[in-house]
Amino acid sequence: MANLKTKLGIFELKNPIMTASGTFGYADEFEDFINVSKLGAIVTKAISINPKKGNTGERIFETTAGMINRIGLENVGVKEFIEKKLPVLKEKDINFVMNLAGSAFEDYIEAAKIADKNGIKAIEVNVSCPNVKQGCLEFGTMPGSLSKLTESIRKEYKGFLIIKLTPNVSDIESLALAAQNAGADCISAINTLKGLGVKIEILPDKTFKKSLVQGGLSGRCIKPVALSMVKRIKSVVKIPVIGIGGISNINDVLEFLSVGADCVQIGTENFTHPDVCEKIINDLDKLMNKLNIDNIEELKRKLRE
Amino acid sequence: MKKNHKGIVLYNEKIAKDTYKIVLKTDMKEAYGGQFISILCENKTLRRPFSIMDFNNGEITVLYKIKGEGTNYIKSLKKDDTVDFIGAMGNTFNYERIKTALLIGAGIGIAPMLFLKKELNKKGIKNFLITGFKEKDEIIEGSDKTVIGGSVVDYIEELNNELKPDIIYSCGPNIVLKLVSEFGIKNNVKTEVSMEKTMACSIGVCRGCVIEYKQNGQTVNKTVCKDGPIFDGDKVIWQI
Repeated sequence: MANLKTKLGIFELKNPIMTASGTFGYADEFEDFINVSKLGAIVTKAISINPKKGNTGERIFETTAGMINRIGLENVGVKEFIEKKLPVLKEKDINFVMNLAGSAFEDYIEAAKIADKNGIKAIEVNVSCPNVKQGCLEFGTMPGSLSKLTESIRKEYKGFLIIKLTPNVSDIESLALAAQNAGADCISAINTLKGLGVKIEILPDKTFKKSLVQGGLSGRCIKPVALSMVKRIKSVVKIPVIGIGGISNINDVLEFLSVGADCVQIGTENFTHPDVCEKIINDLDKLMNKLNIDNIEELKRKLRE
Repeated sequence: MKKNHKGIVLYNEKIAKDTYKIVLKTDMKEAYGGQFISILCENKTLRRPFSIMDFNNGEITVLYKIKGEGTNYIKSLKKDDTVDFIGAMGNTFNYERIKTALLIGAGIGIAPMLFLKKELNKKGIKNFLITGFKEKDEIIEGSDKTVIGGSVVDYIEELNNELKPDIIYSCGPNIVLKLVSEFGIKNNVKTEVSMEKTMACSIGVCRGCVIEYKQNGQTVNKTVCKDGPIFDGDKVIWQI
Protein backbone atom coordinates (compact mmCIF):
# COMPACT_ATOMS: atom_id res chain seq x y z
CA MET A 1 0.00 0.00 0.00
CA ALA A 2 1.36 3.33 -1.05
CA ASN A 3 0.97 6.21 1.34
CA LEU A 4 -1.50 8.61 -0.26
CA LYS A 5 -1.50 11.02 2.66
CA THR A 6 -1.39 14.60 1.43
CA LYS A 7 -0.46 17.64 3.46
CA LEU A 8 -1.67 21.06 2.48
CA GLY A 9 0.08 23.07 5.14
CA ILE A 10 -1.77 22.33 8.38
CA PHE A 11 -4.66 20.65 6.57
CA GLU A 12 -4.13 16.93 6.23
CA LEU A 13 -5.88 14.64 3.78
CA LYS A 14 -5.99 10.85 3.48
CA ASN A 15 -5.27 11.27 -0.21
CA PRO A 16 -5.11 14.09 -2.77
CA ILE A 17 -8.67 13.57 -4.05
CA MET A 18 -11.29 16.08 -2.99
CA THR A 19 -14.73 16.82 -4.38
CA ALA A 20 -15.50 20.27 -5.78
CA SER A 21 -18.08 22.54 -4.24
CA GLY A 22 -21.61 22.24 -5.57
CA THR A 23 -21.11 18.80 -7.04
CA PHE A 24 -21.29 16.73 -3.89
CA GLY A 25 -23.97 18.38 -1.76
CA TYR A 26 -23.14 17.78 1.87
CA ALA A 27 -21.92 14.24 1.11
CA ASP A 28 -24.79 12.13 2.45
CA GLU A 29 -26.42 11.72 -0.96
CA PHE A 30 -23.28 10.01 -2.27
CA GLU A 31 -23.34 7.23 0.28
CA ASP A 32 -25.51 5.28 -2.15
CA PHE A 33 -22.55 5.21 -4.52
CA ILE A 34 -19.24 5.30 -2.70
CA ASN A 35 -17.62 5.10 0.68
CA VAL A 36 -17.47 8.84 1.35
CA SER A 37 -15.07 8.54 4.28
CA LYS A 38 -12.39 7.29 1.85
CA LEU A 39 -12.15 10.69 0.18
CA GLY A 40 -9.32 13.10 0.88
CA ALA A 41 -11.93 15.72 1.68
CA ILE A 42 -15.21 16.98 0.42
CA VAL A 43 -15.91 20.63 -0.20
CA THR A 44 -19.44 21.52 0.78
CA LYS A 45 -21.88 23.30 -1.42
CA ALA A 46 -21.35 27.08 -1.20
CA ILE A 47 -22.82 28.38 2.03
CA SER A 48 -23.96 31.96 2.41
CA ILE A 49 -24.83 33.83 5.57
CA ASN A 50 -28.55 33.68 4.75
CA PRO A 51 -30.33 30.87 2.91
CA LYS A 52 -30.48 31.44 -0.86
CA LYS A 53 -33.17 30.24 -3.23
CA GLY A 54 -31.00 30.49 -6.32
CA ASN A 55 -32.10 31.30 -9.85
CA THR A 56 -35.48 30.62 -11.41
CA GLY A 57 -35.87 29.02 -14.83
CA GLU A 58 -33.62 26.49 -16.51
CA ARG A 59 -30.44 25.96 -14.54
CA ILE A 60 -28.63 23.33 -16.56
CA PHE A 61 -27.41 23.19 -20.15
CA GLU A 62 -25.35 20.33 -21.50
CA THR A 63 -22.49 21.21 -23.85
CA THR A 64 -19.95 19.19 -25.77
CA ALA A 65 -17.84 17.53 -23.05
CA GLY A 66 -19.30 19.65 -20.30
CA MET A 67 -22.20 21.60 -18.94
CA ILE A 68 -23.27 25.11 -18.01
CA ASN A 69 -25.01 25.75 -14.70
CA ARG A 70 -26.77 28.79 -13.31
CA ILE A 71 -27.91 27.40 -9.98
CA GLY A 72 -27.35 30.75 -8.30
CA LEU A 73 -25.74 29.33 -5.15
CA GLU A 74 -28.96 27.92 -3.71
CA ASN A 75 -28.15 26.78 -0.18
CA VAL A 76 -29.53 26.32 3.31
CA GLY A 77 -27.57 29.19 4.86
CA VAL A 78 -24.86 29.04 7.49
CA LYS A 79 -27.19 28.62 10.47
CA GLU A 80 -28.86 25.47 9.16
CA PHE A 81 -25.53 24.17 7.92
CA ILE A 82 -24.05 24.42 11.41
CA GLU A 83 -27.14 22.96 13.07
CA LYS A 84 -28.06 20.17 10.68
CA LYS A 85 -25.28 19.32 8.25
CA LEU A 86 -22.19 19.83 10.38
CA PRO A 87 -23.11 17.22 13.02
CA VAL A 88 -23.64 14.62 10.27
CA LEU A 89 -20.26 15.34 8.69
CA LYS A 90 -18.58 15.14 12.10
CA GLU A 91 -20.41 11.97 13.13
CA LYS A 92 -19.41 10.21 9.92
CA ASP A 93 -15.84 11.40 10.26
CA ILE A 94 -15.86 13.01 6.83
CA ASN A 95 -12.98 15.39 6.26
CA PHE A 96 -14.54 18.50 4.82
CA VAL A 97 -13.93 22.05 3.71
CA MET A 98 -16.71 24.59 4.13
CA ASN A 99 -17.20 26.64 0.98
CA LEU A 100 -18.29 30.24 1.58
CA ALA A 101 -20.09 32.60 -0.76
CA GLY A 102 -21.33 36.14 -0.22
CA SER A 103 -22.61 39.23 -1.93
CA ALA A 104 -20.90 41.75 0.36
CA PHE A 105 -17.68 41.84 2.39
CA GLU A 106 -19.67 41.65 5.61
CA ASP A 107 -21.36 38.39 4.53
CA TYR A 108 -18.03 36.61 4.12
CA ILE A 109 -16.62 37.96 7.33
CA GLU A 110 -19.69 36.99 9.30
CA ALA A 111 -19.64 33.48 7.85
CA ALA A 112 -15.90 33.16 8.49
CA LYS A 113 -16.44 34.13 12.15
CA ILE A 114 -19.08 31.43 12.50
CA ALA A 115 -16.76 28.87 10.87
CA ASP A 116 -14.03 29.85 13.28
CA LYS A 117 -16.31 29.69 16.32
CA ASN A 118 -17.45 26.19 15.32
CA GLY A 119 -13.93 24.89 14.91
CA ILE A 120 -14.20 24.24 11.19
CA LYS A 121 -10.74 23.18 10.10
CA ALA A 122 -10.77 24.55 6.58
CA ILE A 123 -12.78 26.98 4.50
CA GLU A 124 -12.73 27.65 0.79
CA VAL A 125 -13.84 31.11 -0.28
CA ASN A 126 -15.75 31.43 -3.53
CA VAL A 127 -14.66 34.84 -4.78
CA SER A 128 -16.56 34.57 -8.06
CA CYS A 129 -19.65 36.16 -6.51
CA PRO A 130 -20.68 39.66 -7.55
CA ASN A 131 -20.05 42.40 -4.99
CA VAL A 132 -23.51 43.99 -4.96
CA LYS A 133 -22.31 47.12 -3.20
CA GLN A 134 -19.67 47.80 -5.84
CA GLY A 135 -21.35 47.55 -9.19
CA CYS A 136 -21.59 43.76 -8.98
CA LEU A 137 -17.95 43.33 -9.97
CA GLU A 138 -16.79 39.93 -8.80
CA PHE A 139 -14.60 40.02 -5.70
CA GLY A 140 -12.01 37.83 -7.36
CA THR A 141 -11.45 39.83 -10.53
CA MET A 142 -9.49 42.76 -9.05
CA PRO A 143 -6.34 42.23 -6.96
CA GLY A 144 -7.28 45.11 -4.67
CA SER A 145 -10.69 43.82 -3.67
CA LEU A 146 -9.48 40.22 -3.46
CA SER A 147 -6.66 41.31 -1.19
CA LYS A 148 -9.01 43.26 1.07
CA LEU A 149 -11.49 40.37 1.25
CA THR A 150 -8.80 37.79 2.00
CA GLU A 151 -7.23 39.98 4.64
CA SER A 152 -10.56 40.62 6.37
CA ILE A 153 -11.42 36.92 6.45
CA ARG A 154 -7.92 36.06 7.65
CA LYS A 155 -8.38 38.32 10.68
CA GLU A 156 -11.49 36.43 11.77
CA TYR A 157 -10.58 32.88 10.84
CA LYS A 158 -7.70 30.89 12.30
CA GLY A 159 -8.15 27.67 10.35
CA PHE A 160 -6.93 26.69 6.89
CA LEU A 161 -7.97 29.39 4.43
CA ILE A 162 -8.36 28.46 0.77
CA ILE A 163 -9.18 31.10 -1.85
CA LYS A 164 -10.88 29.67 -4.93
CA LEU A 165 -9.93 31.75 -7.93
CA THR A 166 -12.06 32.54 -10.94
CA PRO A 167 -10.51 31.98 -14.38
CA ASN A 168 -12.51 34.86 -15.87
CA VAL A 169 -9.64 37.33 -15.48
CA SER A 170 -6.77 38.53 -17.64
CA ASP A 171 -3.98 38.26 -15.09
CA ILE A 172 -4.40 35.23 -12.83
CA GLU A 173 -0.87 35.63 -11.44
CA SER A 174 -1.60 38.97 -9.80
CA LEU A 175 -4.77 37.57 -8.19
CA ALA A 176 -2.97 34.51 -6.88
CA LEU A 177 -0.31 36.76 -5.40
CA ALA A 178 -2.90 39.09 -3.91
CA ALA A 179 -4.52 36.13 -2.12
CA GLN A 180 -1.21 34.75 -0.90
CA ASN A 181 0.08 38.09 0.31
CA ALA A 182 -3.16 38.83 2.14
CA GLY A 183 -2.79 35.68 4.20
CA ALA A 184 -4.41 32.81 2.28
CA ASP A 185 -3.02 29.37 3.12
CA CYS A 186 -3.88 27.83 -0.19
CA ILE A 187 -5.33 28.57 -3.61
CA SER A 188 -7.80 26.42 -5.48
CA ALA A 189 -8.34 26.93 -9.18
CA ILE A 190 -10.33 27.10 -11.26
CA ASN A 191 -13.96 27.99 -10.71
CA THR A 192 -16.26 27.72 -13.75
CA LEU A 193 -15.70 29.67 -16.94
CA LYS A 194 -18.38 32.05 -18.12
CA GLY A 195 -20.39 30.43 -20.87
CA LEU A 196 -23.61 30.72 -22.81
CA GLY A 197 -25.69 27.78 -23.96
CA VAL A 198 -27.98 28.48 -26.90
CA LYS A 199 -30.67 26.14 -28.15
CA ILE A 200 -32.62 26.93 -31.28
CA GLU A 201 -35.72 25.00 -32.23
CA ILE A 202 -37.70 25.36 -35.41
CA LEU A 203 -41.40 25.43 -34.56
CA PRO A 204 -44.21 23.99 -36.72
CA ASP A 205 -45.16 27.52 -37.82
CA LYS A 206 -41.64 27.88 -39.31
CA THR A 207 -40.48 30.38 -36.66
CA PHE A 208 -37.49 30.00 -34.34
CA LYS A 209 -37.63 29.43 -30.63
CA LYS A 210 -34.44 30.37 -28.83
CA SER A 211 -33.50 29.37 -25.26
CA LEU A 212 -30.42 30.71 -23.53
CA VAL A 213 -28.63 29.51 -20.41
CA GLN A 214 -25.89 31.91 -19.27
CA GLY A 215 -23.77 30.49 -16.49
CA GLY A 216 -20.62 28.66 -15.49
CA LEU A 217 -19.04 26.16 -17.83
CA SER A 218 -17.53 23.05 -16.25
CA GLY A 219 -16.62 19.50 -17.16
CA ARG A 220 -13.97 17.82 -19.25
CA CYS A 221 -13.90 20.62 -21.84
CA ILE A 222 -12.31 23.10 -19.39
CA LYS A 223 -9.33 20.94 -18.42
CA PRO A 224 -6.74 22.62 -20.69
CA VAL A 225 -7.75 26.05 -19.35
CA ALA A 226 -7.48 24.78 -15.78
CA LEU A 227 -4.09 23.18 -16.36
CA SER A 228 -2.78 26.40 -17.82
CA MET A 229 -4.10 28.45 -14.91
CA VAL A 230 -2.69 26.07 -12.30
CA LYS A 231 0.72 26.18 -13.94
CA ARG A 232 0.67 29.98 -14.08
CA ILE A 233 -0.45 30.27 -10.45
CA LYS A 234 2.16 27.80 -9.24
CA SER A 235 4.88 29.76 -11.00
CA VAL A 236 4.29 32.77 -8.72
CA VAL A 237 3.02 31.49 -5.34
CA LYS A 238 4.65 29.51 -2.55
CA ILE A 239 1.43 28.28 -0.89
CA PRO A 240 -0.20 24.98 -1.95
CA VAL A 241 -2.46 24.90 -5.00
CA ILE A 242 -5.51 22.71 -5.51
CA GLY A 243 -6.17 21.93 -9.17
CA ILE A 244 -9.79 21.86 -10.36
CA GLY A 245 -11.28 21.59 -13.81
CA GLY A 246 -12.41 18.71 -15.97
CA ILE A 247 -10.77 15.88 -14.05
CA SER A 248 -12.35 12.53 -14.86
CA ASN A 249 -9.62 9.92 -14.39
CA ILE A 250 -6.22 9.22 -12.88
CA ASN A 251 -4.34 10.54 -15.91
CA ASP A 252 -5.99 13.90 -15.45
CA VAL A 253 -4.89 13.88 -11.80
CA LEU A 254 -1.30 13.17 -12.82
CA GLU A 255 -1.43 16.02 -15.33
CA PHE A 256 -2.50 18.47 -12.64
CA LEU A 257 0.10 17.24 -10.15
CA SER A 258 2.76 17.50 -12.84
CA VAL A 259 2.09 21.20 -13.50
CA GLY A 260 2.12 22.16 -9.84
CA ALA A 261 -1.13 21.12 -8.15
CA ASP A 262 -0.67 19.69 -4.66
CA CYS A 263 -4.00 17.94 -4.78
CA VAL A 264 -7.13 18.08 -6.89
CA GLN A 265 -10.86 18.51 -6.72
CA ILE A 266 -13.29 16.57 -8.88
CA GLY A 267 -16.52 18.27 -9.83
CA THR A 268 -18.79 17.68 -12.79
CA GLU A 269 -17.55 14.11 -13.28
CA ASN A 270 -19.35 13.20 -10.04
CA PHE A 271 -22.58 13.68 -12.01
CA THR A 272 -21.47 11.47 -14.88
CA HIS A 273 -19.87 8.80 -12.67
CA PRO A 274 -20.91 9.16 -9.01
CA ASP A 275 -18.20 6.68 -8.02
CA VAL A 276 -15.37 8.42 -9.90
CA CYS A 277 -13.53 9.69 -6.79
CA GLU A 278 -13.28 6.29 -5.17
CA LYS A 279 -12.15 4.78 -8.46
CA ILE A 280 -9.41 7.40 -8.88
CA ILE A 281 -8.18 6.84 -5.31
CA ASN A 282 -7.95 3.09 -5.98
CA ASP A 283 -6.24 3.66 -9.33
CA LEU A 284 -3.74 6.03 -7.75
CA ASP A 285 -2.87 3.47 -5.09
CA LYS A 286 -2.40 0.76 -7.72
CA LEU A 287 -0.28 2.97 -9.95
CA MET A 288 2.01 4.08 -7.14
CA ASN A 289 2.49 0.49 -6.04
CA LYS A 290 3.29 -0.55 -9.57
CA LEU A 291 5.86 2.22 -9.96
CA ASN A 292 7.28 1.70 -6.45
CA ILE A 293 6.42 5.23 -5.44
CA ASP A 294 5.98 5.40 -1.68
CA ASN A 295 4.21 8.67 -1.15
CA ILE A 296 2.53 11.64 -2.79
CA GLU A 297 5.52 13.94 -2.37
CA GLU A 298 7.67 11.46 -4.28
CA LEU A 299 4.99 11.14 -6.96
CA LYS A 300 4.84 14.90 -7.39
CA ARG A 301 8.61 15.16 -7.55
CA LYS A 302 8.89 12.49 -10.22
CA LEU A 303 6.07 14.01 -12.24
CA ARG A 304 7.77 17.39 -12.16
CA GLU A 305 11.28 16.21 -13.04
CA MET B 1 -27.70 -0.72 -1.06
CA LYS B 2 -25.49 0.82 -3.71
CA LYS B 3 -27.40 2.50 -6.51
CA ASN B 4 -24.88 2.21 -9.32
CA HIS B 5 -25.66 -0.75 -11.53
CA LYS B 6 -24.75 -2.46 -14.75
CA GLY B 7 -27.65 -3.77 -16.81
CA ILE B 8 -27.59 -6.26 -19.67
CA VAL B 9 -29.85 -5.44 -22.60
CA LEU B 10 -32.49 -8.13 -23.06
CA TYR B 11 -34.66 -6.24 -25.52
CA ASN B 12 -34.42 -2.88 -27.29
CA GLU B 13 -37.01 -2.36 -30.01
CA LYS B 14 -39.19 0.28 -31.56
CA ILE B 15 -42.77 0.11 -30.27
CA ALA B 16 -44.27 3.27 -31.78
CA LYS B 17 -43.26 6.32 -33.80
CA ASP B 18 -39.85 7.50 -32.48
CA THR B 19 -40.56 5.47 -29.33
CA TYR B 20 -38.51 2.55 -28.07
CA LYS B 21 -38.69 0.08 -25.25
CA ILE B 22 -35.57 -1.24 -23.57
CA VAL B 23 -35.51 -4.07 -21.04
CA LEU B 24 -32.46 -4.52 -18.82
CA LYS B 25 -31.46 -7.45 -16.68
CA THR B 26 -29.99 -6.01 -13.50
CA ASP B 27 -29.07 -6.76 -9.92
CA MET B 28 -31.42 -4.06 -8.66
CA LYS B 29 -33.45 -5.36 -5.75
CA GLU B 30 -36.40 -3.02 -5.71
CA ALA B 31 -38.15 -0.26 -7.59
CA TYR B 32 -41.56 1.32 -7.22
CA GLY B 33 -43.98 3.18 -9.42
CA GLY B 34 -42.87 6.76 -9.98
CA GLN B 35 -39.15 6.09 -9.65
CA PHE B 36 -36.64 6.46 -12.47
CA ILE B 37 -33.24 5.30 -13.60
CA SER B 38 -30.52 7.51 -15.11
CA ILE B 39 -28.60 5.98 -17.97
CA LEU B 40 -25.02 6.89 -18.84
CA CYS B 41 -24.79 7.72 -22.54
CA GLU B 42 -21.56 7.50 -24.49
CA ASN B 43 -19.71 10.82 -24.73
CA LYS B 44 -22.36 12.66 -22.74
CA THR B 45 -21.67 14.53 -19.51
CA LEU B 46 -25.19 14.16 -18.19
CA ARG B 47 -27.06 10.91 -17.64
CA ARG B 48 -30.52 10.59 -19.14
CA PRO B 49 -33.37 9.93 -16.68
CA PHE B 50 -36.27 7.62 -17.62
CA SER B 51 -39.35 6.65 -15.63
CA ILE B 52 -39.52 2.96 -14.88
CA MET B 53 -42.36 1.30 -16.79
CA ASP B 54 -41.99 -2.09 -15.21
CA PHE B 55 -39.82 -3.91 -12.71
CA ASN B 56 -39.86 -7.63 -12.28
CA ASN B 57 -37.19 -9.66 -10.47
CA GLY B 58 -34.43 -7.26 -11.41
CA GLU B 59 -35.68 -6.79 -14.97
CA ILE B 60 -36.29 -3.10 -15.64
CA THR B 61 -38.32 -1.75 -18.54
CA VAL B 62 -38.17 1.87 -19.63
CA LEU B 63 -39.54 3.69 -22.65
CA TYR B 64 -37.65 6.40 -24.48
CA LYS B 65 -38.37 8.78 -27.29
CA ILE B 66 -35.61 9.72 -29.70
CA LYS B 67 -34.63 13.29 -28.85
CA GLY B 68 -30.94 13.61 -29.61
CA GLU B 69 -27.50 12.10 -29.12
CA GLY B 70 -28.26 10.50 -25.74
CA THR B 71 -31.35 8.61 -26.84
CA ASN B 72 -29.75 7.72 -30.18
CA TYR B 73 -26.96 6.07 -28.22
CA ILE B 74 -29.49 4.05 -26.22
CA LYS B 75 -31.21 3.09 -29.47
CA SER B 76 -27.88 1.77 -30.79
CA LEU B 77 -27.55 -0.73 -27.94
CA LYS B 78 -27.83 -4.38 -28.96
CA LYS B 79 -28.99 -7.42 -27.05
CA ASP B 80 -26.37 -8.42 -24.41
CA ASP B 81 -24.73 -4.98 -24.42
CA THR B 82 -23.99 -3.50 -20.99
CA VAL B 83 -25.65 -0.33 -19.73
CA ASP B 84 -24.34 1.79 -16.87
CA PHE B 85 -27.20 3.27 -14.89
CA ILE B 86 -28.08 4.53 -11.43
CA GLY B 87 -31.36 3.80 -9.66
CA ALA B 88 -33.92 3.39 -8.57
CA MET B 89 -33.96 7.15 -8.00
CA GLY B 90 -36.63 9.48 -6.68
CA ASN B 91 -39.79 9.08 -4.66
CA THR B 92 -42.88 7.01 -5.42
CA PHE B 93 -46.58 7.43 -5.99
CA ASN B 94 -48.52 7.24 -2.77
CA TYR B 95 -51.65 5.03 -2.66
CA GLU B 96 -52.20 4.54 1.03
CA ARG B 97 -55.90 4.65 1.89
CA ILE B 98 -56.82 4.97 -1.81
CA LYS B 99 -59.77 2.90 -3.02
CA THR B 100 -60.26 4.25 -6.53
CA ALA B 101 -57.75 5.99 -8.77
CA LEU B 102 -57.84 7.72 -12.12
CA LEU B 103 -54.59 7.58 -14.08
CA ILE B 104 -53.87 10.02 -16.89
CA GLY B 105 -50.93 9.66 -19.23
CA ALA B 106 -50.02 11.88 -22.13
CA GLY B 107 -47.66 10.52 -24.78
CA ILE B 108 -44.64 8.74 -23.34
CA GLY B 109 -45.94 9.82 -19.92
CA ILE B 110 -47.80 6.51 -20.04
CA ALA B 111 -44.64 4.75 -18.79
CA PRO B 112 -44.88 5.37 -15.01
CA MET B 113 -48.68 5.06 -15.25
CA LEU B 114 -48.35 1.47 -16.45
CA PHE B 115 -46.07 0.60 -13.54
CA LEU B 116 -48.43 2.30 -11.11
CA LYS B 117 -51.42 0.50 -12.63
CA LYS B 118 -49.71 -2.82 -12.06
CA GLU B 119 -49.07 -1.92 -8.41
CA LEU B 120 -52.65 -0.76 -7.89
CA ASN B 121 -54.00 -3.96 -9.44
CA LYS B 122 -51.82 -6.00 -7.10
CA LYS B 123 -53.21 -4.08 -4.13
CA GLY B 124 -56.77 -4.49 -5.39
CA ILE B 125 -57.20 -0.75 -5.84
CA LYS B 126 -59.78 0.05 -8.49
CA ASN B 127 -58.22 2.10 -11.28
CA PHE B 128 -58.73 3.42 -14.77
CA LEU B 129 -55.94 4.54 -17.10
CA ILE B 130 -56.63 6.95 -19.90
CA THR B 131 -53.86 8.02 -22.23
CA GLY B 132 -53.67 10.48 -25.09
CA PHE B 133 -51.42 10.50 -28.13
CA LYS B 134 -51.01 13.06 -30.89
CA GLU B 135 -51.21 10.54 -33.71
CA LYS B 136 -52.27 6.94 -34.23
CA ASP B 137 -48.74 5.68 -34.90
CA GLU B 138 -47.56 7.04 -31.53
CA ILE B 139 -49.91 4.84 -29.49
CA ILE B 140 -48.34 2.81 -26.70
CA GLU B 141 -50.53 -0.07 -25.55
CA GLY B 142 -51.76 -0.84 -22.05
CA SER B 143 -54.46 1.72 -21.24
CA ASP B 144 -58.14 1.25 -20.45
CA LYS B 145 -58.90 4.04 -22.88
CA THR B 146 -56.73 5.60 -25.56
CA VAL B 147 -57.51 8.87 -27.25
CA ILE B 148 -55.87 10.25 -30.37
CA GLY B 149 -55.51 13.93 -31.12
CA GLY B 150 -57.11 16.57 -28.93
CA SER B 151 -56.36 16.61 -25.25
CA VAL B 152 -56.67 13.83 -22.74
CA VAL B 153 -57.65 16.53 -20.25
CA ASP B 154 -61.01 16.92 -22.00
CA TYR B 155 -62.06 13.56 -20.59
CA ILE B 156 -61.28 14.19 -16.93
CA GLU B 157 -64.63 15.59 -15.95
CA GLU B 158 -66.60 12.70 -17.41
CA LEU B 159 -64.28 10.07 -15.93
CA ASN B 160 -64.24 11.82 -12.58
CA ASN B 161 -68.04 11.79 -12.43
CA GLU B 162 -68.14 8.14 -13.43
CA LEU B 163 -65.37 6.79 -11.20
CA LYS B 164 -65.40 9.23 -8.27
CA PRO B 165 -61.66 8.60 -7.70
CA ASP B 166 -59.91 9.42 -4.41
CA ILE B 167 -56.91 10.54 -6.42
CA ILE B 168 -55.83 11.40 -9.95
CA TYR B 169 -52.29 10.46 -10.96
CA SER B 170 -50.75 11.96 -14.05
CA CYS B 171 -47.62 12.05 -16.16
CA GLY B 172 -47.03 14.01 -19.35
CA PRO B 173 -46.11 17.50 -20.51
CA ASN B 174 -46.31 20.25 -17.88
CA ILE B 175 -49.39 21.78 -19.46
CA VAL B 176 -51.32 18.51 -18.97
CA LEU B 177 -50.10 18.18 -15.38
CA LYS B 178 -51.08 21.75 -14.66
CA LEU B 179 -54.60 21.26 -16.04
CA VAL B 180 -55.01 18.01 -14.10
CA SER B 181 -53.86 19.74 -10.91
CA GLU B 182 -56.24 22.66 -11.47
CA PHE B 183 -59.09 20.23 -12.05
CA GLY B 184 -58.20 18.51 -8.79
CA ILE B 185 -58.24 21.77 -6.83
CA LYS B 186 -61.56 22.84 -8.35
CA ASN B 187 -63.22 19.49 -7.75
CA ASN B 188 -61.59 18.68 -4.46
CA VAL B 189 -59.76 15.60 -5.70
CA LYS B 190 -56.20 14.88 -4.64
CA THR B 191 -53.68 14.81 -7.50
CA GLU B 192 -50.16 13.47 -7.85
CA VAL B 193 -48.07 14.42 -10.86
CA SER B 194 -44.82 13.00 -12.20
CA MET B 195 -42.56 15.89 -13.24
CA GLU B 196 -39.64 16.18 -15.61
CA LYS B 197 -36.79 18.69 -15.79
CA THR B 198 -33.22 18.69 -17.14
CA MET B 199 -31.10 17.04 -14.47
CA ALA B 200 -27.37 17.12 -13.92
CA CYS B 201 -26.74 14.80 -10.96
CA SER B 202 -30.03 12.82 -10.63
CA ILE B 203 -29.34 12.38 -6.92
CA GLY B 204 -30.27 15.69 -5.29
CA VAL B 205 -26.94 17.46 -4.86
CA CYS B 206 -26.62 19.94 -7.71
CA ARG B 207 -30.00 21.69 -7.36
CA GLY B 208 -30.19 21.87 -11.14
CA CYS B 209 -33.72 20.49 -11.51
CA VAL B 210 -35.69 22.44 -8.93
CA ILE B 211 -39.33 23.47 -9.15
CA GLU B 212 -41.19 25.89 -6.91
CA TYR B 213 -43.53 24.25 -4.44
CA LYS B 214 -45.88 25.32 -1.68
CA GLN B 215 -44.99 23.94 1.73
CA ASN B 216 -46.26 25.12 5.11
CA GLY B 217 -47.46 28.40 3.65
CA GLN B 218 -44.13 29.13 2.03
CA THR B 219 -42.67 28.75 -1.44
CA VAL B 220 -39.73 26.38 -1.41
CA ASN B 221 -37.51 24.77 -4.04
CA LYS B 222 -37.88 21.02 -4.54
CA THR B 223 -35.58 18.89 -6.65
CA VAL B 224 -37.40 16.81 -9.25
CA CYS B 225 -34.74 14.10 -8.94
CA LYS B 226 -34.76 13.55 -5.19
CA ASP B 227 -37.76 15.27 -3.59
CA GLY B 228 -39.76 14.17 -6.69
CA PRO B 229 -40.38 13.27 -9.39
CA ILE B 230 -43.83 12.74 -7.84
CA PHE B 231 -45.43 15.85 -6.33
CA ASP B 232 -48.85 16.82 -5.01
CA GLY B 233 -50.37 18.62 -7.98
CA ASP B 234 -52.05 21.29 -5.86
CA LYS B 235 -48.72 22.40 -4.36
CA VAL B 236 -46.69 22.79 -7.53
CA ILE B 237 -46.22 26.41 -8.63
CA TRP B 238 -46.50 26.14 -12.38
CA GLN B 239 -44.18 28.24 -14.54
CA ILE B 240 -46.40 27.95 -17.62
